[in-house]
Amino acid sequence: MTQTTQNTRVHTAASARDLTKTYGRGDSLVHALRGVDVDLPAGRFTAIMGPSGSGKSTLMHCLAGLDGATSGSVTVAGRDLAGLDDTALTLFRRDHIGFVFQAFNLLPMLTAGQNILLPLELSGRAVDRVRYDQVVGVLGLADRLGHLPSQLSGGQQQRVAIARALVTQPDIVFADEPTGNLDSEASAEVLGHLRRSVRELGMTVVMVTHELDAAAYADDVVVIHDGAITAHLSDPGQDELVAALRGGRA
Amino acid sequence: MRSVLLASLRHHTRRYVASAIAVVIGVGFVVATGMLTGATREGLTADTGAPTAGLETMVSITDSRQADRLMAGAADRGVPAVTLGYAMEPVSKDGIQLTRSADVAEVSTRPALQWQDLESGRFPTADDEALADTNAAKSTGVAVGDVLRIGRGDDGRDVTVVGMVDSPVGLGNDLYVPWSTLRTFQDSLWVDAVAWGGSPSLAADLVPDSTTRAADDWVAERQAEISRGVDIIAVMALLFVAIAFFVAVLVIANTFSILFAQRLREFALLRCVGVTRRQLRRSVRLEALALGVAASVVGVVGGALGGVALVAVVRHWFDDMGAPALDPRWVGGAFAVGVLVTVAAAWLPTRSATKVAPLAALRPDTGPDVRSTAGRIRLALAVLALAAGSGALFLSIAAEVVPLMLVGGMVTFVGVLLLGPWLIPALVRLAGRLVGDGPVRRLAAGNAVRNPRRTATTAASLLVGVTLTTAVLTGLASSRSALDDEMDADHPLDATLSATEGPLDAGLAERIAAADGVADTLALDGTIATIAGDAIPVAAVERTLGVVRGTDDLSPADGTVLLPYDESEHVRKDGTVVVTVDGTRHELRAEVGGGFGQAALVSPATLAGLTSDPRPVAVWARAVPGTDAADLDGDLAALAGSSATLEGGYADRQWVDLQVDVMTGAVVGLLGISVVIALIGIGNTLGLSVLERSRENALLRAMGLTRQQLRRAMATEGLLLSVVATVVGTAIGLVFAWVGVQVLLGPLLDDAAVTVPVAQLAGVIGVAAVAGLAACVLPARRAARITPAAGLALD
Repeated sequence: MTQTTQNTRVHTAASARDLTKTYGRGDSLVHALRGVDVDLPAGRFTAIMGPSGSGKSTLMHCLAGLDGATSGSVTVAGRDLAGLDDTALTLFRRDHIGFVFQAFNLLPMLTAGQNILLPLELSGRAVDRVRYDQVVGVLGLADRLGHLPSQLSGGQQQRVAIARALVTQPDIVFADEPTGNLDSEASAEVLGHLRRSVRELGMTVVMVTHELDAAAYADDVVVIHDGAITAHLSDPGQDELVAALRGGRA
Repeated sequence: MRSVLLASLRHHTRRYVASAIAVVIGVGFVVATGMLTGATREGLTADTGAPTAGLETMVSITDSRQADRLMAGAADRGVPAVTLGYAMEPVSKDGIQLTRSADVAEVSTRPALQWQDLESGRFPTADDEALADTNAAKSTGVAVGDVLRIGRGDDGRDVTVVGMVDSPVGLGNDLYVPWSTLRTFQDSLWVDAVAWGGSPSLAADLVPDSTTRAADDWVAERQAEISRGVDIIAVMALLFVAIAFFVAVLVIANTFSILFAQRLREFALLRCVGVTRRQLRRSVRLEALALGVAASVVGVVGGALGGVALVAVVRHWFDDMGAPALDPRWVGGAFAVGVLVTVAAAWLPTRSATKVAPLAALRPDTGPDVRSTAGRIRLALAVLALAAGSGALFLSIAAEVVPLMLVGGMVTFVGVLLLGPWLIPALVRLAGRLVGDGPVRRLAAGNAVRNPRRTATTAASLLVGVTLTTAVLTGLASSRSALDDEMDADHPLDATLSATEGPLDAGLAERIAAADGVADTLALDGTIATIAGDAIPVAAVERTLGVVRGTDDLSPADGTVLLPYDESEHVRKDGTVVVTVDGTRHELRAEVGGGFGQAALVSPATLAGLTSDPRPVAVWARAVPGTDAADLDGDLAALAGSSATLEGGYADRQWVDLQVDVMTGAVVGLLGISVVIALIGIGNTLGLSVLERSRENALLRAMGLTRQQLRRAMATEGLLLSVVATVVGTAIGLVFAWVGVQVLLGPLLDDAAVTVPVAQLAGVIGVAAVAGLAACVLPARRAARITPAAGLALD
């Protein structure tokens, strides 16, 4: 079943069409997204880049079904999210989407192992032991499973979050500034893990970041500025990336 | 600093609502109580001076014979005088008893002394004329022109009602007759004062050991006496206000400590930009002061409005209520207590919150520190309090000392509250395990015990109300069963009809058995005998099962006669009595008892020796539980007519039951206020925790927790808290009730047993659980409404 899904999977893991998101009304109306069209390819590590307030997090929230769009459509894993009510959306997220956030990723009262298994527990799915051990092994967490988040370093906490995102075998993993709170060594480690999960586990990862170093780990880079996409680069070189970001700043 | 204070107040207003409500309820309650007390006092004392009839002297006497001498002397000399007092006599109309005991007082035939407030008809001018009270007449249907018989048998007097009056409350007499008639009821007459128009020396001449004083002084003293009575009720009500305020302190203190924990970064930031610790503390305390003042003002206004409404409602049934008025002392007191309670509750949380180091603002986003540790000192104090308190309780049982019991109970309870941070989370965890497994329940149980001290304080606020309610309910239920036993012994029969002159109609027993509200009847055969010239029915008692209550079956041994108390004077020194039947004298051993009416009782064998022709002379009846005593009396009196006297303990029993019911209702109602405040506190704690956990909830929602699951988790959390608090409260309450029964009822009864009102206690637990669930509704809705994206963006 899983196998067929993967074979027949469209090469786009998530896409947005004419996606608009506004906040407030009247004078305080803010356009966070202005008619965004984007296709995020499956099996790739895509970075969404842009300065603060560019709308990159809003784009991610809309793509991940965490927030509703004002207009336009979002398709994830072949499913149009527009028609789903809150409960359906929640159940969809549960089964198809994984998350890694910048901070406050883990529930403080659960151990690392319990945090990793939480999404499975919420959906009532049986734990796939092989998958669990594989993910825990890849992320080097085997000896940390019994620890509470407060007993883990920032890098370890983010690795637990990645493990949690991967264990359900989601169609797409969204990472929102996953290295925002980490030092450079831990950042490199976390980004390396994200890339390995794409290369070795065949996952699709979409990461929101404003750090050039982080984007360098990605296969594709989407540049967003003022709520609109200004570039969508495939395997960009450092210079190309800098130029695209600069172009956005014009 | 003022701008910070004002901005902070504006910004956090909504979060203070629950604390404010707690204070508003408490303050409003005090103000309303004050108004009700004032109006009651005014109503009760307004007419205290009326019976002095404008005379300037009051003569205090000790018995009604002295009153007779004074009144005779006054009549001889033409001195105006009127008595204060009453006789208690049965009243009947057309041979049917209207009431077993009416209060009959004097109305003067001199117009100047007729102080009664005439509503219709005229004042009596002759000895056989009477006034009737309109309120009393409502139930008996007495009207002007009726001829009433006051008193029993040969001693009765017939009077004609010529006018209706509205008696002032506190002098609630049913009938007024001229002194010459009233004086004939010497047996039940009680007069302790005479309003006197003559000189004090004349009074002293007539009754040497009487005392005279100015009527004004007498009225003032009476009013003070009534006031004291009202004050006692007010103080009792205030006791419950104190409990409500104690709960309010817990709720407010908890609110402040939660809010301060959430604002720790804000405080640290203020410290960073140069606010001193002292300035910060002052600002936060001023915030509490402002809250207290605002809530107290609202409470005073709300209480005043409530008081006006309450007095109006009470006036509807009880027209002797005075006008509602705000007493500045009550208002001032209520306001001061409201402010004081708020500031005091904020004091401790303020201290710890303002200790925050400036650097805390600069640390990465750790969220508010929700963990709090409970120190060893607290644990030691808790153990000490528990040991000392339970020691005092045991001592109080042994010594039967009430104050020791109260102190012991309070100290024990404080011990339980101090132990809360260990006890309550442990029990919540246990309860959480009992409700089963699953992510939602585990989440709820985990959240409920996340912050032990907060959990404990929240539970404690409910614990107070539930413990007291349980203790009081159980105590009253135990008193009720003790009273029931006593009533069974004192009033073994609900209704007795004893023949007056001749044997009863043979069909009477059947007609009584068919009457509404009669569960069982027993017809007693016997004969009409005479004892020392008085005609008295003598009845044989055989099988009393089903009619007689209690353990004594009222059947005398052969050769013994059981006499009503009234006949005890005819028992001779050797313990025998002479009973004459049809001119034949029989000497029987006499025993004296009560509660079986006006018939003497013998065994069937003894009766056979007295007469060969037994005829029905008495009927005993047992009432269906819940039957209205006045209705039953009316029905039976109508059936009996003048052929039998109606007595029995059902009315007394119902009155005692009613008193216990009223007391139970009043206490539960008053404690309900504390419970309501506690539930507001639970909702508040949950609501504030929601704000604190919004990121966490957003995370869970992002990962697939549905809205419904989130709502359910919060409902489970609230339910766990309220159920644990209720169960602990019920347990402690039962222990307290047991101690209370030993100490309070122990000296009065041989074996004071605790009666557990299972249904009532189950009701308390059910109400608390449902209310706990209701308290989560708003916070849960709010939590579920936040979209995951919004929750993640919140700082």
